[in-house]
Amino acid sequence: MLKNSISIFWRKRSNYYRIKLTKCRKCGRISYPARERCPYCGSNDVEHIDSSGHGKILNYTVSYYRREGDAENMPRIVALVRLDEGVVIPAEIVDSSPEEIKEGMEVEAVLRRLNSDDPYGLIYYGLKFTPVLNK
Amino acid sequence: MGRPEARAGVVGWGTYIPRYRLRVTEIAELWGFEKRIVESLGMFEKAVASSDEDSVTMGWYAAKSAILRAGIKPEEISAVFVGSESKPYAVKPSATIIGDALGVSRKRLTTDLEFACRAGSEAIRLNVALVSSGTVRYGLAIGSDTAQANPGDILEFTASSGAAAYVLGPAEEAAAKFEGVVTYVTDTPDFWRRDLSKYPLHGEGFTGSPAYFHHIESSVKLLMEELGLKPSDFDYAVFHQPNGKYPLKVAAKLGIPKDKVLPGLVTPWIGNTYNASALIGLAKVLEAAKPGERILVAPFGSGAGSDAMSLIVTDKVKDKVNVAPTVEELLSRKTYINYATYAKSRKIIWRI
Repeated sequence: MLKNSISIFWRKRSNYYRIKLTKCRKCGRISYPARERCPYCGSNDVEHIDSSGHGKILNYTVSYYRREGDAENMPRIVALVRLDEGVVIPAEIVDSSPEEIKEGMEVEAVLRRLNSDDPYGLIYYGLKFTPVLNK
Repeated sequence: MGRPEARAGVVGWGTYIPRYRLRVTEIAELWGFEKRIVESLGMFEKAVASSDEDSVTMGWYAAKSAILRAGIKPEEISAVFVGSESKPYAVKPSATIIGDALGVSRKRLTTDLEFACRAGSEAIRLNVALVSSGTVRYGLAIGSDTAQANPGDILEFTASSGAAAYVLGPAEEAAAKFEGVVTYVTDTPDFWRRDLSKYPLHGEGFTGSPAYFHHIESSVKLLMEELGLKPSDFDYAVFHQPNGKYPLKVAAKLGIPKDKVLPGLVTPWIGNTYNASALIGLAKVLEAAKPGERILVAPFGSGAGSDAMSLIVTDKVKDKVNVAPTVEELLSRKTYINYATYAKSRKIIWRI
């Protein structure tokens, strides 16, 4: 039985595969997520750009909530990451233990499994973050 | 008129090795193997993918690095081939997921390939043909696997996870130009996995002489014959690495000294990454090679077949090495885990 919506994931897949930002052509500010109007000046003269996927951890928390379709991944580290473009986004940090995470740690986006309708349904891929390997 | 493949070369390369490692002595102790078994394989540890990693996510990472080293935009790539024997889906291409996630042009040739551990190498061959013929300017070849092994089988000492990717393009832009590429294949039942079977089976000792050694020796001898080269003409030799011993043994049979094989030998520290095995070895050699040096690469896939390729390194290689994580960096980033964590990560044990 499917737990996730295939159609919603398919429509939004470019936002799962890349971090889409909004750049205002009028005031020059960058915001998240991708939208049709600048949240700062209200202009609808905006363009959507891809983030470099690099940033630094601002703060984080550790979740012990077990998610169906991703039960092996616990505890889960959820952080606020300030991207190089200046915007702050919520992000899951992987390949690190809570003891290793530090504020200011450089991280980069990596494609991972977000969830899956096991055992026979769709696998949902998207971006998580991991400590930068090649600085 | 020269060989057509000389018009193509490696424009960019990238690799991925998961962070986690399992010491093979732990596998031996758990299942009661003799110490000499581990020693006979020349293995120390193997790379283990996390529970949220698979051949798609690892292939994506390697491809991202390869595109960075190529110095091109993803949308300039017109062909994507993914070689794997651990596809997340039995039916649904991995190449479309990776291509879209990277932002590769949607007007592209795209497919998944299967030929045991040789499909990633076949992906390179196909792209070389497409570039040489002028059909595409840039093509992406990926070899990626989360290799499966029946718990307690000797294969469990080596079966590991990793990925390698190559952007093939015009020889004049390449870090290494192809000099020649040949393939040798036969119907040989050395290793297989039936439909719906979770783990592969193999013909024990049959995987050696009639399979690995016969095919690699045949392809390399064919390559040297066609190019008029001898073993001493190569500065490096990279073979498929099912364990730590076979590459050295096949090199000895071909008259290639050990010191030309060791720079590209990675299996003792990460295990057999199947479709990425020889291709990670090639990447490690590219990251150390000097312009003008000649590299022999001979991947192997059960079933069975081997490609042999000769590459000449160009002066463009140095500017590309540090653009993305190197094999040395990926090898040194590691955290040891126990068998229980490995079993959970690779779904050898799982919740219902």
